[in-house]
Amino acid sequence: MEERGERIALQCRQHSASCREFSVRCQPVQLRSLSAATCSVWLAAYWLFVLTQNSMVLSAAIFITLIGLIVYLHFVKIDQESLLVIASLGIQMTSSYASGKESTTFIEMSQVKDVVINEAIYMQKVIYYLCILLRDPLDPQSVSEVVPLFQSSKPRLDCLVEVYRSCQEILEQRKTVSQIL
Amino acid sequence: MACRRIGDQEQFLATAFSVVNCGRPPAWGIRTHSICMVSDFFYPNMGGVESHIYQLSQCLIERGHKVIIVTHAYGSRKGIRYLTNGLKVYYLPLKVMYNQSTATTLFHSLPLLSKENTVLRAALDPEIVSVIPNAVDPTDLTPDPSRRDNSTITIVVVSRLVYRKGIDLLSGIIPELCQKYPDLNFLVGGEGPKRIVLEEVRERYQLHDRVRLLGALEHQDVRNVLVQGHIFLNTSLTEAFCMAIVEAASCGLQVVSTRVGGIPEVLPEDLIILCEPSVKSLCDGLEKAMLQLRSGTSLAPEIIHNKVKTFYTWRNVAARTEKVYDRVADETVLPMDKRLDRLITHCGSVTGYIFALFAVLNFLFLVFLRWMTPDSIIEAARDATGPNGVWTKQYFHTQKRKEKEENSNC
Repeated sequence: MEERGERIALQCRQHSASCREFSVRCQPVQLRSLSAATCSVWLAAYWLFVLTQNSMVLSAAIFITLIGLIVYLHFVKIDQESLLVIASLGIQMTSSYASGKESTTFIEMSQVKDVVINEAIYMQKVIYYLCILLRDPLDPQSVSEVVPLFQSSKPRLDCLVEVYRSCQEILEQRKTVSQIL
Repeated sequence: MACRRIGDQEQFLATAFSVVNCGRPPAWGIRTHSICMVSDFFYPNMGGVESHIYQLSQCLIERGHKVIIVTHAYGSRKGIRYLTNGLKVYYLPLKVMYNQSTATTLFHSLPLLSKENTVLRAALDPEIVSVIPNAVDPTDLTPDPSRRDNSTITIVVVSRLVYRKGIDLLSGIIPELCQKYPDLNFLVGGEGPKRIVLEEVRERYQLHDRVRLLGALEHQDVRNVLVQGHIFLNTSLTEAFCMAIVEAASCGLQVVSTRVGGIPEVLPEDLIILCEPSVKSLCDGLEKAMLQLRSGTSLAPEIIHNKVKTFYTWRNVAARTEKVYDRVADETVLPMDKRLDRLITHCGSVTGYIFALFAVLNFLFLVFLRWMTPDSIIEAARDATGPNGVWTKQYFHTQKRKEKEENSNC
């Protein structure tokens, strides 16, 4: 599937009837854009060096590039976002950064009120996004928080609808189970 | 594309224009449009334009059209919301520049909206300008004859006290009639720079107990003032569509007004006494109204109210708006070169070029945006009017029936 000109891939794995995993793979790190950024910083630094004749500028530029690269790969660039839904347990969201770092959030099933597709205005654009509505522990009928999913890959509506349908199937199972109990 | 201005004459005007797009197949035998109302003023902000857009949208939805509203964010109210009957509102996070107006409104802040004004200034063919009146909520504006003091006659004036509203004429009428008729009182609601003129008149002729100046009135207080009077006087020198006289007639008052602008088209002849905009003519008109009151030949407030009630309902306004949309949707969209040509030839020698320059810049900006974000990656909005549009269509049949009844009543 395509998103804003970038290609992203949705992978659906069905571990069992009540357990599904969706992972959205974003575009990998582009060597072209990274080298362009590095080159521009270094060229600017070299120009400053020629003007000032101070070699500190060059070493500063090298450090800036290195730190920038580490921060970008470690905290900004997300390679893959996955959503694991287990009817009896809960929903786990994992985002893997380009450096290999992973961050995971888990929401217990009792907290999950519903999964919905919402519409929002983001960066001069109207986009659809998938989100989890959390139940307010004091008042089970109301929503205490909205947790957006796939925040960095931002898949398009057709992709979201697919994930939404599967999630709803699993949530349905949970309801029937709780009714039997 | 249609540019429609919302004619809330009393107010400084918001940019409100609607984009009509008839992409949907005709349903129920009539054309349905997709309508986008753009206005800086919308709920939760309160006012005439806001309620106009809301009521009109609701009536258009009722008639089977799809309506969305685009406005700017009000505090924490931003993003996309749905109101009654699936009316979708986009609260865009734009910066508010002045008095709840964003830069775009200030950019093309509009001239006064009378058909005459607009036609003259823009050198348009009068045939292509449609005047759609505002609606009056007849349930709020009911007569209450018990509030009148029937031992005297009270003339009510509710308007902003500015030159355009003919306050100078009023200052000539007040002393003349007050000297002639000792049982005559004036009740003036409204505020403005011409208040000083009325105060001077009151001072000079010692009319403090007979001419009451109420100052600025809140919209909900207007009825309270209107029902205290017998005759409503409007002295406007220019007016597109006088809302005040409809409101006054709805409260059962005999209306005396100047014959200017669109006023003669507003009310039928038996509900209004039209005069020339001069002190003498207006005094004659008022005397005629007083004579009718004294002799009991004037219509009863209830009868006037029941007549006016049928004239300017929101459904009626929506039906008129729909006709304009139908017509505009058939017009061809001019190509860029024709549009530039029209701007240059119609908008004055210097300003025409400036406008054309802006048009070109806008066009280039649009091309640039298209290149930045191609159409293919913009998500098309899903129809959120329920499965098969049930939210909009369920009213449709009942509505058609009601309309027929209304028409047969007229």
